[in-house]
Amino acid sequence: MAKVLEGPGMGLMKKWGITVPHYVVVTSVDELTKLGQVNEWLKKSKLVVKAHEALGSRFKLGLVKVGLDLKEAEAATKEMIGRQVGSITVSQVIVSEMVPHKEEYYCAVKSTREGTDILVANCGGIEVESNWDRVKRLAVDVGQQPTGEALERLAKDAGFTGPLAKKMAEFAGKMFTCFDSEDAQYLEVNPVVLREQEGELIALDAVTLLDGDAKFRHPDWNFAFAAEFGRAYSKHETEVMAVDSKIKGSVKFIEIPGGDTAMLPAGGGASVYYSDAVVARGGKLANYAEYSGDPPDWAVEVLTDKVCSLPGIKNIIVGGAIANFTDVKKTFGGIINGFRKAKLEGKLKDVKIWVRRGGPREKEGLDAMRALKDEGFDINVFDRNTPLTDIVDKALLK
Amino acid sequence: MSILANKDTYVVIQGGVAGVNAARRMAEFCYLIKRSLNVLAFVYPPDAGKTHEIPYGSGLVAVPIYKTVGEATKNHPQINTSLVYIGADRAMKGGMEALDDSHIKVVSMITEGVPEKDAKILGRHATKLGKVFNGPSSIGIVSAGSCRLGVIGGAFDNLVLSKLYREGSFGVITKSGGLSNEIIWICSQFADGITTAIGIGGDTYPGTDYVSYLDMFENDLQTKAVVIVGEMGGDLEERAAEWYGAKKRRVKLLAVVSGFCQESLPKGMKFGHAGAKEGLKGEGSARSKSDALKKSGAVVPATFGALGPAIKEAYQEMLKSGQVKEPVEPAMLPKLPKTIEEAMKADEVMVAPLIRTTISDDRGDEPCYDGYPASELINKGYQIPHVVGLLWDKRLISQQEAEIIKRIMMLSADHGPCVSGALGTIIAACAGIGMSQSVAAGLIMIGPRFGGAVTDAGRFFKYAVDNKMTVDDFLAYMKKNHGPVPGIGHRVKSLRNPDKRVKELVGYVKSLNIKTPCLDFALEVEKITSVKKDNLILNVDGTMAAVLVDIGFPVDSLNGFFILSRTIGLIGHWVDQKRQDSRLIRLFDYLVNYAAPKRREVPPLK
Repeated sequence: MAKVLEGPGMGLMKKWGITVPHYVVVTSVDELTKLGQVNEWLKKSKLVVKAHEALGSRFKLGLVKVGLDLKEAEAATKEMIGRQVGSITVSQVIVSEMVPHKEEYYCAVKSTREGTDILVANCGGIEVESNWDRVKRLAVDVGQQPTGEALERLAKDAGFTGPLAKKMAEFAGKMFTCFDSEDAQYLEVNPVVLREQEGELIALDAVTLLDGDAKFRHPDWNFAFAAEFGRAYSKHETEVMAVDSKIKGSVKFIEIPGGDTAMLPAGGGASVYYSDAVVARGGKLANYAEYSGDPPDWAVEVLTDKVCSLPGIKNIIVGGAIANFTDVKKTFGGIINGFRKAKLEGKLKDVKIWVRRGGPREKEGLDAMRALKDEGFDINVFDRNTPLTDIVDKALLK
Repeated sequence: MSILANKDTYVVIQGGVAGVNAARRMAEFCYLIKRSLNVLAFVYPPDAGKTHEIPYGSGLVAVPIYKTVGEATKNHPQINTSLVYIGADRAMKGGMEALDDSHIKVVSMITEGVPEKDAKILGRHATKLGKVFNGPSSIGIVSAGSCRLGVIGGAFDNLVLSKLYREGSFGVITKSGGLSNEIIWICSQFADGITTAIGIGGDTYPGTDYVSYLDMFENDLQTKAVVIVGEMGGDLEERAAEWYGAKKRRVKLLAVVSGFCQESLPKGMKFGHAGAKEGLKGEGSARSKSDALKKSGAVVPATFGALGPAIKEAYQEMLKSGQVKEPVEPAMLPKLPKTIEEAMKADEVMVAPLIRTTISDDRGDEPCYDGYPASELINKGYQIPHVVGLLWDKRLISQQEAEIIKRIMMLSADHGPCVSGALGTIIAACAGIGMSQSVAAGLIMIGPRFGGAVTDAGRFFKYAVDNKMTVDDFLAYMKKNHGPVPGIGHRVKSLRNPDKRVKELVGYVKSLNIKTPCLDFALEVEKITSVKKDNLILNVDGTMAAVLVDIGFPVDSLNGFFILSRTIGLIGHWVDQKRQDSRLIRLFDYLVNYAAPKRREVPPLK
């Protein structure tokens, strides 16, 4: 899944006929001032200014300001841009019109094993969280489209009446079309509001998760995906992602600040069992990592470099199951190069390395790892006869 | 017995290079269990009509490539299974094509990164047709002793270590490819091994779930227990628990689930598998899955490491109850033949070399000429003539000698478009022929009458000097035994119209104060012959020859100096014609003396 920020998310909704408030994404006050000269709504409406970054709790951080006129919006933009929050510098803000409304509603579309669920509620905002029973669901089978009648029934079921039921049905229909056409995995509008003057439903806030794997058939996805865990990707994470997108096989890397056990395991499945083992033994993970699908040695070297650069680590777990076709000698070659480089740079002082692996050319690969002992590495190497996660026990149970 | 893949499974592989690699792995397995290759065809439109040669034992099996699945199954009606290993952008179309073919009952997809929507449509389509769609991102399916579909099971040694050559009693279902191998290994070490192991893929919505395979295992009497390796995300493990808890099952269920670490990690973090993800409201957590499985009566070890002992315990119970017997291992198993390289590395074989070289070696990180690394020659200031010296005469020549060679090359690099060599190249270039053939057309002209007299000239001048002949004796000897003296005489140049190139070269060499017996002798010869006829002068071939012999080059290499130098010119002529986009040329008939008989009647055929 790939998260998309509000700006491009609302752009996709607009493309499929969903009404969204007027909005602009700017990187400087100048830009906003210039846009203000040519866009009537910026002068006339009350405005909302939000930091346009993958940040959680923006309200608390003071990165959302509401009810502003253009002058105040410019001041807010000036204040927000360049602000440092953790590892993230705010580089963009989204300025949108405030839409006066009395009631708030909810609409979401999500992927399920059987097809797609369309969710509608006649309450919205934070109210929906505490009234989940008011959310009504229409299940659409794989490859099918919802009918107009079914959507209207859904709206009525959720408590919408009269012309509003029809409007909500149409809105949900467009949400489905957007979801289906854009290879989305989750779309949520909360709140949906009724603009009093025109009497039309507007999507005030959008959560958009797209299927990154479908990027090849969406040439107009010209936006970057955002991290999904309430912070932006770090420099090292972004670098590994760039490598990942270029190679056969995969390399993955996520930093977890404050941990002291670094992970460098192979395999999407085994890596999680290794992480579980660390947590189960009371260890603190410094990262999540994984390489698989017989990646080139240089890609594994880049990953190793990032793992060795994690601050304050005491152990590195180079685990892995018995590979099917990943060449153990070759991928270990990348890891060994990474270790040597790290050592030259003065890293890996007092760091213990734990290795367990099997697979094609396992003997050569494990022998090469063992030989690192002679170069002064504190390394312990085990083969397939040692159960998968026993190296974690050995590392953490002293 | 087994499920999904067995002795009757015959496979078409949809894919290119990656598909061929899968076929090699499958052939290794077939060889291990002494069954003929079960891959009967490939589908890969760009190579349709060709074959792939798949190593089987020490031989090769030719497997035809077709444009469509339909063509493959029409030609090989035994095919009942497809293995898809094509790009993610074409996976949906390829998968549909296979599912829609009436011969095919099982489709397994290795391709990773298939859009979720496509995977859901494929899975649904298969269900509708009553077929199995396994994957995407599936490492494959392996049934011990009968069939490998995909790359599951790893390298040949691992197949043997994991006892995949004969049936055991454990079924395996995993989302993870790497862990499937690990579990197969564990089952073979802690128990009697597997019946069938299936990788269902780590995507969010795999085409088939645990339950569909659990049903199959339940009906396969050889399978006594099933091991599930699950992970957080989705609800497949919960459904498996539901299935197991619903009624008394014949098979015993053992399961582990990963993802407990999620509880102490940032919410929404992405793991290696697309499907390894808790829902937005925390549904599909490792804990809820593990609890559900425990509640259903499955054996759920706390950690992955405890799985081995749990499997062992289950196996011991089966042995005790007489449900299974200790397996009998075969006395002999086929060994995968080693490649020559592997056997030589292990000192097991000696090979008589086919050729012998004494000048260069390319086996290191860069070529060595007569032992000297090319980069070191460059860095120490050596030039092209030194490389010529090393490769043609295996010696590092002096600066002075190098300068002479350089001058020879510069003087003979080209001689205009009219001479035989250049004309040959130009005609070829105008006929649209490529560079190497056109330049070869020019080089073919080099022979006794054009440019190819250097070697012979050198040989005879050297013969005369070595035998201390006088010019008269030499001329008499040549007349009697060989004819005209090579290196003497020119088509257009003469005493009155001397060849500037010869003058230049002779002047330079003479200025060096080195011993030049051959050149001196050749000049003496010229003095006599040019008196007889004024174009019988020492030509450029003869001069080069005499000088090169004087600086010690072997006679056999001498024509090489002309060929090498003139190649520069010939390449120039080809490029020149190509850039001008010259048209095809032919001779004008007025340039031909038609001396053939006049037109006449053909007599009747006798």
